[in-house]
Amino acid sequence: MSYGSTIKVPLGPQHPALKEPGNFLFEVDGETVVDVKPRIGYNHRGVEKAFELRTYIQNIYLAERICGICSDAHTTCYTQAIEELLGVEAPPRARYIRVIIAELERIQSHALWVGIAAHEIGFDTLFMYVWRDRETVLDLFEMISGNRIHYAMNTIGGVRRDIHAAMVPKIKKGLDFLEKRLKYYLDVVQTEQTILKRAAGVGVLKPKDAVDLCALGPTLRASGINNDVRADDPYAAYDEVPFNVITHDGCDVSSRMLVRCEEMLESIKAIGYALDHMPEGVIRVRVPMKVPKGEVVSRVEAPRGELIHYAKSNGTTKPERYKVRSPTLGNIPALCKMLLGGYVADIPIVLAGIDPCFSCMDRMAFVDVKKNKGWNWTMQQLRRKYAKK
Amino acid sequence: MEKENEIVKKLKNFLKENLVRTTVPKERRIFVYIKKDALKDAVKYLVKDLEFKHLSTITGVDLGGKIEVIYHMAYKGSIVLSIRLTVSEKNPSVPTITDLIPGAVLYEREVHDLFGVNFEGHPDLSPLVLPEGWPQGVYPLRKEHKLEHLREMTSKK
Amino acid sequence: MELDHAAVEKEVCKEMTEEIIVSMLKILVFPGALFLFALAFFYEWVDRKFFARVQNRYGPLHTGLHGILQPIADFFKLLSKEDITPHSSDKLMFFLTPIFYFALPLTTLFVIPILGQTSLIAFEGDLIFVIFAFTLIIITVFLAGWSSMNRFGTIGSMRAVLQMLSYEIPMGLVTTGPAIAASSLSISEIVKWQSPPNFWLILLQPLGFAVFTICLLAELQLVPFDIPEAETEIVAGWRTEFTGRKLALLRLGRDLELVLASALITSLYLGGSQQFWLIPPIVIFLVKTTFAVMLLSLLRAVFARFRIDQMLSGMWKYLLPLAALQIILIQLGLGG
Repeated sequence: MSYGSTIKVPLGPQHPALKEPGNFLFEVDGETVVDVKPRIGYNHRGVEKAFELRTYIQNIYLAERICGICSDAHTTCYTQAIEELLGVEAPPRARYIRVIIAELERIQSHALWVGIAAHEIGFDTLFMYVWRDRETVLDLFEMISGNRIHYAMNTIGGVRRDIHAAMVPKIKKGLDFLEKRLKYYLDVVQTEQTILKRAAGVGVLKPKDAVDLCALGPTLRASGINNDVRADDPYAAYDEVPFNVITHDGCDVSSRMLVRCEEMLESIKAIGYALDHMPEGVIRVRVPMKVPKGEVVSRVEAPRGELIHYAKSNGTTKPERYKVRSPTLGNIPALCKMLLGGYVADIPIVLAGIDPCFSCMDRMAFVDVKKNKGWNWTMQQLRRKYAKK
Repeated sequence: MEKENEIVKKLKNFLKENLVRTTVPKERRIFVYIKKDALKDAVKYLVKDLEFKHLSTITGVDLGGKIEVIYHMAYKGSIVLSIRLTVSEKNPSVPTITDLIPGAVLYEREVHDLFGVNFEGHPDLSPLVLPEGWPQGVYPLRKEHKLEHLREMTSKK
Repeated sequence: MELDHAAVEKEVCKEMTEEIIVSMLKILVFPGALFLFALAFFYEWVDRKFFARVQNRYGPLHTGLHGILQPIADFFKLLSKEDITPHSSDKLMFFLTPIFYFALPLTTLFVIPILGQTSLIAFEGDLIFVIFAFTLIIITVFLAGWSSMNRFGTIGSMRAVLQMLSYEIPMGLVTTGPAIAASSLSISEIVKWQSPPNFWLILLQPLGFAVFTICLLAELQLVPFDIPEAETEIVAGWRTEFTGRKLALLRLGRDLELVLASALITSLYLGGSQQFWLIPPIVIFLVKTTFAVMLLSLLRAVFARFRIDQMLSGMWKYLLPLAALQIILIQLGLGG
């Protein structure tokens, strides 16, 4: 279907298909995408600069707020990095608790994603069902940590709250319910014709392109590449908790759906194992405020892919340099490749296929130190705000 | 530690005097310091012969007068090799590696935006995270720019 | 004997004015415009409530009993909002299209029998008039999106026209089914034909019923055919630029279309407004139409949206042959 001349269609920064602002300028010829230019930075908050101005303890909370859905991944990565700089190791019980929280977060994030993906292809009923079931995980979080997101479980030297024996049966009950529902959704995703028509063969990313463009997480694993930081570069208690790395060969959006659904089931098994085999002991060790000079690279498998932090300390209580690279940024080149040659109608589902989290991705603009607040950055907004003074 | 030591030995043999320093602080982590001119050869060797196909990210660090650029590359997802070089602040310029690793496009743009490092041969160095209208020559992550100074500057616009 | 011309004239005038007043009341109030508006709001509520329950949600809950006043509340809210006309739009078309979009289904509803077995306006060939009205509605949709001078409106308009070109033919084809059975092109006649000793046409022409319902889903732009207004792809498609009063009229128009579609299903296939024991025909009509609305809601809830090329190929490859098959079956004597 070609109409001759091309039209430039902007997607964002405000658009119903995007849950967070990001700008993609598409050049379309009729219904086919000919070119795509990404433009990010709308949620850029100056986090990397802010890290340098705060003490290591204060930075835990800053790291948590880089993202709402993968907040625990950021704090795990951060506390691991600082622990390595200090030369301490978190106690065994703390490491198991970190695994449990991280896997619960993975379930919550993937469930959110399945709902969003269903919404993008117009299947609102599945969206409503999945999000209703996701509430089970959020209730478990509230029971364990007191909050539905931003659980603040990690600290330098261990975890702040324990998972008591009384909580374990409730967690297991919640997980059993989830497992039943997830098996049903896995079945729906594989057999429902209208979903398959929109997701199969769409947004194809060949394995060679996935590796060349440094894709991450489920996007990479859905192209058949077996890379998972939990298995390749184990951290926390992942060397002791058994789990399978899920890969699929389809290279399209429906493979990504399958990878995420099956990962959720794997997470449930991993949590069950961790709960049964949790060692006794303390949950944290005390650490000094000043961190000796050094540098460290810390990696974690966030729900969206490999999360990498680079920390450099200079002997004081504040870091010299802290670098965060979250998975969504790594998937953008692969995303652009997937979109070329596809249909306009497929843009939202392909975009959703990499599970974009633009808040994680942009990270440097302004932070009001007094209020510890960050905001979206448009020049007009900034002008308006300061003109009031 | 075997594999890590093996990789270090092979790199030493290949780069000879261009390899200034290496450290292996713990398993699966290698830090290597090379001279700027050897960057492209080193990256090519790493990608083609040593199978370090995955680039995790590129970090910039302001060392005061000098800017350090660190490339974090991963071997089959597990061993992370951080290969670094320094450039002077006055004229920071590094050859691009996008012809070897296409996925490096956005990382180089980010370091260019925030530190002012120029990547020669990059297909498109337009701003990635900074907004339109951001003043030229102001690179926010450099130590010279304090937070109040940056805020003052944008409020004047 | 002398004819008192003056007195006769007065009589005739009085009768005529009475007739005119009664007709005006019929057209404007019952079963005319006001009644149809009330029906439109009621069916929007039925649709939203049923759709919500299928999705395990509550739907409208607080305004009125079980949220039944919610559509009316939404309508008045929209009337009170600011009405913005884009600078570069075609002002005349932009202003007229919402009015047409709401007036067309309203007028078309006058030919559907509601009170009894004859409609307000019945004439031989009003079935063709209804099909024609559907085409006019889509042309209005096209002009609405085109005149807004908005990228998303343009894409939405193009998609709406493409969709119309696909479902028009199967729909026109299957509607001749009831017409052939009743040997008439008037909807009122078709309704009359379905009373005993004849059966409801859904039993005699089930294939036609299925094809017709699918075409109506496409006409109403409901999932899986809501391609022209796919929210996640092109914001609101052809309706993107409309605000305030114009959007209120568009919403009312969509509700009236829903009434029209379900009333058509009822009249053509479910027997329409018939007396059943002692229950007056209008109650029967409302019950059947509510069932039709719930059917459309259910279909809306259980499918995902098609892509436009999939819709086109599906319509031409499957729906059109099925429609033709139905007509062939009728000609062979199966189905009235």
